[in-house]
Amino acid sequence: MPTLDLETIKKEIIDSQLWRSVFRGGVWKDTPRDRAGHIIGNVWLHLHPVKARPRALEWAYTWGMGGISFALYLLLTITGVVLMFYYRPTIGLAYRDIKDLEFAVTLGMFLRNAHRWAAQAMVVSVIAHMVRVFLTGAYKKPREFNWGIGVLLLTLTLFLSFTGYLLPWDQLAIWAVTVGTNMAGATPVLGNEGPLGALVGMRINNDVRFTLLGGTMVGENTLLRFYVMHCVAVPLVVGILLILHFWRIRKDSFSAAPYQANEEKIDVWPHLVKKEYFGAAMTTVFIMVWSILQNAPLEAIANPNVTTNPSKAPWYFVGLQELLVYFDPWIAGVVMPGLIIVGLIAIPYIDTNPKGIGYYAWKERPFANTLFMLGVVMWFALIYIGYALRGPNYAWYWPWESWYMLKAAPPPTWSVFGPTGVGKFSMFLGIPLIGAASAAWLLLPKLIQKELDGLKTMGAFLGVIALFAVGGMAMGKMGPIEGAFLLFFTGASFYFGFVLPQRHIRTLDWARYLTTMVLVISTMSVLLKMCARLAFNIKYVLTIPSISMNI
Amino acid sequence: MSEATPNPAPEPAKVPAAVAPAAAPKPAVKPDMSRGDFLWAGWAMLAAFGAATAAASARFMFPNVIYEPSQKFNAGKASSYDLGVDTKWLNEQRVWIVRTPTGFYAMWARCTHLGCTPNWWGDQNRFKCPCHGSNYTLGGDVIAGPAPMPLWRAKVELAPTGDLIVDKAILENKPGKRENAPFFANYSPA
Repeated sequence: MPTLDLETIKKEIIDSQLWRSVFRGGVWKDTPRDRAGHIIGNVWLHLHPVKARPRALEWAYTWGMGGISFALYLLLTITGVVLMFYYRPTIGLAYRDIKDLEFAVTLGMFLRNAHRWAAQAMVVSVIAHMVRVFLTGAYKKPREFNWGIGVLLLTLTLFLSFTGYLLPWDQLAIWAVTVGTNMAGATPVLGNEGPLGALVGMRINNDVRFTLLGGTMVGENTLLRFYVMHCVAVPLVVGILLILHFWRIRKDSFSAAPYQANEEKIDVWPHLVKKEYFGAAMTTVFIMVWSILQNAPLEAIANPNVTTNPSKAPWYFVGLQELLVYFDPWIAGVVMPGLIIVGLIAIPYIDTNPKGIGYYAWKERPFANTLFMLGVVMWFALIYIGYALRGPNYAWYWPWESWYMLKAAPPPTWSVFGPTGVGKFSMFLGIPLIGAASAAWLLLPKLIQKELDGLKTMGAFLGVIALFAVGGMAMGKMGPIEGAFLLFFTGASFYFGFVLPQRHIRTLDWARYLTTMVLVISTMSVLLKMCARLAFNIKYVLTIPSISMNI
Repeated sequence: MSEATPNPAPEPAKVPAAVAPAAAPKPAVKPDMSRGDFLWAGWAMLAAFGAATAAASARFMFPNVIYEPSQKFNAGKASSYDLGVDTKWLNEQRVWIVRTPTGFYAMWARCTHLGCTPNWWGDQNRFKCPCHGSNYTLGGDVIAGPAPMPLWRAKVELAPTGDLIVDKAILENKPGKRENAPFFANYSPA
């Protein structure tokens, strides 16, 4: 009776002509040469270096988030292609096809869930990847360009989500896209409702919104356009940028982690590839379990005439939605996202601090880390407010308040400088005053050449604000809650927007200093405007209705 | 060098200057363009081609014919409306018909902020938008929230049959204009 010798069978298979024609290389002896050959001779692995420094592979250093993002991208491609077999992008059929996927197609529900949850996980992992790269200073020279590619990839990840959630043609879909494309319609010059738009001849049927929609309203053309962008155009661009991203990682010496004394490099095969496979496998298992436990949401079929109450964007855009409460659409929807993207890309070019490349450096990079993390925290704080604290009619509901209780109508809003505001001469009074204040804020931190005592400066500032608040309370203009709001928001803006820049970046050259300050002040203006609206019902600080100039 | 060289390529500019007056049986081959200029012209044409392609592709994204529903509809007999806001056309036509003691106006139910449909809250006498919390008065003026301008009123006519004809393609929201025809239809029950 012949025995089943697995080793012999394995040898027979590997030495066969068929196997040798597919997988190059001779007999595997696990020598360094074999391990190098495995990377070099494999089209999928050859973007890896052959050897890497041990620190570059530590989970604690990389968080594995870049690799996990790519795993999710692959997962999304596979589930997405599969879903396309059962989906037709027309108004009459789209919603029915999604319902069929959920209830009539074997594994349809599971695959749709996997696609949706992987998309949300990818948003998280890409943001986490960016945070990690920032905190380890891995965007600094020579990796500035690759950081920029990464920012574009983050933007495109969000854009893929945005184009994706129109496709089910439910209420979330149509209203999210209505709001999103109307924001495009508020673009300065290029949108029919944006500043200067009407002046250059933009109408509802020839502006940038019209090209996005393929019409004047969200309809058949819109669904088709978003379908093509979501399934073909954007993934192609993302794919190209990913190749560039990986290529530059490889060329820029793979990892920013600095050399250590007597450090010996280790083989990428198997040490790194093993981790990548492990990360991808864990990601897949995680998405599978999540997709079994929870179904992707699907609201009622789209009704272009009636909006659900309240109507909210998916969680990662709720922060932007909340921002739109405080600022005009062209500021919150166009200028601020644009500033965030451009500002992020600009960071490697304005951050001249040579320290903190390739390791966590809170003490060596206090300004960069603090301001960046402030931005991240603010983004998620806005998401929390929009997601958890907004109820029917988008009114403010504390977590302990029932949505079934109709809130009292909000008090009327007013403008500080405007036709009916405190200063009725917005042009002659508002512009010079606000301009002078902004200029002072922009220039003073650099012009004061001696470092201010942080404690004393903050104390003095908060003292003045407190006096102001007490005065306001005594005059009956504000209550203790408004006073607390005022102290918190102005205090935070002053600390992060004045004291810290004065301490850390006043010695920068003017170009870098001014760029940084514009980004910092823009960030603080969000805090100040939130305070003005939430505590004092101020709609605009300055409004000139004739040119739609509202800030 | 007395004979005109058949191929004066190396220094084309000098040849005619030196030889031309003396003896030139054939016209000297004088290139109108240097090699460098020719290349630059080529690059310029390539750039022009690229720009034209980009412009044409952009133009391609603007449809010439769009299939969208008519903005005009018959809102039924004027006599069938009670005083105040009527929401019965909201689901189909996205319009509130508002009857005042002297007549009718038709409000387009599109928030001027980012285009959601507000809801009418009769007990608070307000339209409230569910997307970013804009509040409007019965007349459509903004009292709270981020909306930048009043709600739009659509053209409304009283047909000889007694029907209200609303046209959402013709809109007005400026005080002073929106209260008059064609954005207000006088109506006094007989």
